Amino acid sequence: MSFALGVALLAVVTAVTCALPGTYVVLRRSSMLVDAISHAVLPGIVLGYLLTRDLDSPVLILGAALAGMLVVLGAEWLGRTGLLTGDAPQGLIFPALFSIGVILVTLNAANVHLDTHAVLVGDLNLAAWDQLEIAGLALGPRYLYLMLGMLVLNAVVLALLHRTLTLTTFDPVFARTIGIRSGLVNAVFMLLVALTVTAAYNAAGAILVIALVVIPPATARLLTDRLPVMLGFAAGIAAAGALAGFWLAYVLDAATSAGMATFYGLAFGVVLLATRLRRREGREMVRNARASTPGAPSRGLRRLS
Amino acid sequence: MSDLAAGVWDTAAVATGVLAELPSLAQVWGNHTYRMVVLGTTTIGLVAGALGSFAYLRRQSLISDVISHAALPGTLVVFLAAVALGLDGRNMGGLIAGAIVVGTLAVLAANAIERLTVLRIDAAMAIVLATFFGVGMLLMRIVTNGDFPGKGGIQDYLFGNASTITRADLATSLTVGGVALAIMLVYWREFALRTFDPDLAATLGMRTRLVDTLMFTTIVIATVIGVKAVGLVLMVAFVVTPPAAARQWTQSLPAMVALAGAIGAVGSALGAYLSIALGTVPTGPVIVLTLFAILLLSLLASPRRSVLLRAARRRRARRALQAELTREVRAHEARAQRVAEQRVPEQRVPEQRVPEQGAQP
Repeated sequence: MSFALGVALLAVVTAVTCALPGTYVVLRRSSMLVDAISHAVLPGIVLGYLLTRDLDSPVLILGAALAGMLVVLGAEWLGRTGLLTGDAPQGLIFPALFSIGVILVTLNAANVHLDTHAVLVGDLNLAAWDQLEIAGLALGPRYLYLMLGMLVLNAVVLALLHRTLTLTTFDPVFARTIGIRSGLVNAVFMLLVALTVTAAYNAAGAILVIALVVIPPATARLLTDRLPVMLGFAAGIAAAGALAGFWLAYVLDAATSAGMATFYGLAFGVVLLATRLRRREGREMVRNARASTPGAPSRGLRRLS
Repeated sequence: MSDLAAGVWDTAAVATGVLAELPSLAQVWGNHTYRMVVLGTTTIGLVAGALGSFAYLRRQSLISDVISHAALPGTLVVFLAAVALGLDGRNMGGLIAGAIVVGTLAVLAANAIERLTVLRIDAAMAIVLATFFGVGMLLMRIVTNGDFPGKGGIQDYLFGNASTITRADLATSLTVGGVALAIMLVYWREFALRTFDPDLAATLGMRTRLVDTLMFTTIVIATVIGVKAVGLVLMVAFVVTPPAAARQWTQSLPAMVALAGAIGAVGSALGAYLSIALGTVPTGPVIVLTLFAILLLSLLASPRRSVLLRAARRRRARRALQAELTREVRAHEARAQRVAEQRVPEQRVPEQRVPEQGAQP
């Protein structure tokens, strides 16, 4: 497998892995929580590294996911006290955790070879550097297989939780009435999101993970009102955008994740404009049809007669 | 494990060593760099805290996170344009102007997405944040790859660097922050009405779109003046934390805005002093943790809304209710017993008869 092909594949798999839980994230109005989780990842990684001294250890992913959960549960608790309004609880906890991460890195600069810049921005090319080779056969970047594992995990958990998640997303009151423990479902789902964010940070960087999780599902939401269709569209847009963004970054010689985020944003803007224009066109067609048939009653009159 | 212990131990050793020889206020004041760090961050904390109150009360605190990320492409575009025109790319006023314009565009874009589509404000903010930041990172790569005079330090916008605050930077942030505070004071009534009763504001014929744009512009200013010193990741804490802490102690808008400004200023000064004392620790994170400590203190200790006092009050109420219920139950039982005792003779009568009846035949 050539290096460029490996990077492109990694980009596609990462994007689809993020888009699946992202669909529910957008519908559950937790989009900015992803931003908070992705920043909390830093102290989790640093602590995990100090424990294991190994940057590739799975303990790092687990530690980072737990730090992400700390933001979710902490924000929930702060919100439940009723002392803080709006989205403030999320904005209070993640900067504090991120600060702890930055301070830990600077204090242990001698032992921690962690570049905070790389953690934030990510580099797909670096993530794809470590190639998996079995019996002399180059099988592509090692990280690709980790992301594939995450993709499978996401697909399985979401398939198992599909009914419960849909219910708690669209009608939380009814879900509670029929005995679904929505708090537990939410915790499990957010843990899955935190794991996904952590696994993807290596490729996308903590900040741009939010582009992968939120923008393709949000674009899909503009195109459909049905959940299964939205899931399919989100995955399709994510994969297509990953390839296009990869190409954009390749041409501009920039970080792949930045190219992907820009491309997803542009695609969202185009879809938004197109759907607006089509709706306006539809309204105009109705108006023209009404104007061209003389003597036809106006809408209000028709309803009366 | 031992490394973690060693790390913690080192940190503790550094902390105790520092505490033993804290620099005096005069020492900090005497050093130009230290003085600029303290004055600069205090200004940022004051302006961000006071103006952040409106974002907090409108339940859109995280908009400042969107603004700080959008400030990156704003500053970089101005930097590239200035260099292309042969001007000084590092002019603080120009960079701030670019950040304000693009930051305001980001806010308008987020609100427009919410108005025009089925998506909610959280998704709209996330989309705008990610897109603007993606563009910023592309521009950043162009700047770092290219050969531009004065491009050194442009990366500071990511994490901030308080020790690079110059006299001109301080003057710029004082001026721009002063303008924002002046706008707030001039339009105080409009801001307050629009914040607490948006529908009434519209009914009274207020030009709500204009007032909103003005209000968000002040929030944009409050956010971008700190980006160079604090970094775009942490700036949100300067805008959210002081109002959230101030809200616990106050009941009126003027008091809240004043207290949030004071908490921002004092917390920043204290944090800056601590980071100078600790030596190797970056200023922004220490200030954020100081502000967070003030918030926790406010949540735990404010007289009317304290979490602890409320828990104690709830426990007292529960105990009182329990005592009352037990009293009621006892009284009920006693009454039932009295009734039972009164009835006993009546019930005994047939019982006594039974043996008599049985004895007769």
